[in-house]
Amino acid sequence: MKRILLIQLILVLLVVVSCKKDYPIDDDGLLITQRADCYVSNFELLGADFQTVRTKAATIDTTAQTINVEVLFGTDLKNLYPQFTLVVDAVLDPKIVGKVDFSDLTKPKEWTVVSGNRKVRKTYKVFLTVKQ
Amino acid sequence: MKKIKLKILMSLTLLVLCLGACKDKEYAIPTASDKLQNDLIKRSLGPNIVGGTIEFAYAAAILPEKGKLSSMTVEASIAGAAGTYLDNRFFNTSSSGADVGTAVGDPSVTIGKSTSVTYTGNFSAATLRYFYKIPEEARGKSVTFTFTAKSSNGETISYQSGPHEVRNMDMALDLVAKDGTDCYISIEDMKVYNAAFATANPDKIDLVYLYRTPATVTYLHSLVAPTADPSYWPTFTMPTVLKNKTKIVKAFTVRDQQLARIQYGVFVDDVDLSSKDFADAPDFAINVKAEGGIWVQTADGRYNAYVYVNTVTNTATVKEMKISIKRLKVR
Repeated sequence: MKRILLIQLILVLLVVVSCKKDYPIDDDGLLITQRADCYVSNFELLGADFQTVRTKAATIDTTAQTINVEVLFGTDLKNLYPQFTLVVDAVLDPKIVGKVDFSDLTKPKEWTVVSGNRKVRKTYKVFLTVKQ
Repeated sequence: MKKIKLKILMSLTLLVLCLGACKDKEYAIPTASDKLQNDLIKRSLGPNIVGGTIEFAYAAAILPEKGKLSSMTVEASIAGAAGTYLDNRFFNTSSSGADVGTAVGDPSVTIGKSTSVTYTGNFSAATLRYFYKIPEEARGKSVTFTFTAKSSNGETISYQSGPHEVRNMDMALDLVAKDGTDCYISIEDMKVYNAAFATANPDKIDLVYLYRTPATVTYLHSLVAPTADPSYWPTFTMPTVLKNKTKIVKAFTVRDQQLARIQYGVFVDDVDLSSKDFADAPDFAINVKAEGGIWVQTADGRYNAYVYVNTVTNTATVKEMKISIKRLKVR
């Protein structure tokens, strides 16, 4: 009787252990996947009133790793909220946690896209021009 | 054998429970209390602002065979400003949807903190509306109300409401700024002035309204501080005495119900004005649209305000912006 119980216990343990999978996650608790794709697919820029300040769609060059965006005349460049759309599983570094000051047009802001497997990093420069 | 008995007992219990659960209770018309009764709802929403109105609907009723209503009285803890009254009518809705009033007595009489209507008709039930005009004395304080009804058989009943906090902010509605003439806006005064007044009182002018249609960019209806870069006030001569560097933050979805008087349930309160962050705020707002607005901090830091744009007009002859303002003295 005792031997049967022991065997059953071992079987249960085996089942439990066999079901456990190890999913790797990064520091933010996001899954690290096998994807090596690393690019920006869309870019939006919002003003203090959370309305777009773009005059047209941003031009994204994934080879040169640049984003060119023209903003409306009278845009408050010190208080803008950029929004990136990235390829699946990729993340942005540094994270955007609030408004960003774009007022120095000679110094483009930079963000790095990190692929899903966290092995590929591509730094994009965001160039702003104000419609005149 | 014991197990079988237990099973039968359990089945029977379940059956009884099922039958009991299916039993409908017959509806009975509730028996009305034979005492004088009352109830109250507050009809107005949003922050209570000096100069504004707090509105209530106060209902009282008594069984017709017990007596009739003889009076209704409202006593406020702080006397209301001129314009405080208890409507002497109750309302029904006609078949066309209009409110039809029926007078229960003479118009209300206000003595000090107390406002009363004496019933002259034969009414056993009525709901009267009370409009409390918030006085200056109530600013930043709480006000409470005691609603009292009396009936002809000597009964009295009361209903307490409050405390209702009165805010520190001020509000001004439907100011019209006109391009080229009355285009100088004072947050301190919450008024719109012309060039002559602006030149004589430069410290009071915080914003200038302009309408322009440059060939290459979108400008349209804009609000700028006198210190804004001249590129933000094209083809306009800014009086040189105007020096206020007003901080401006554009807003779009802040359709305050008290300012806009449209369907949105959004209210700008004292705390919104006092906690608004104006760090790095510019001194211009270009292409401001109807139902949009701007958060404003005056150059001396004394006032924070929200300016809501009710309408904009740009016909061949009229270029104007109708605005409403909530303003809080912060220093």
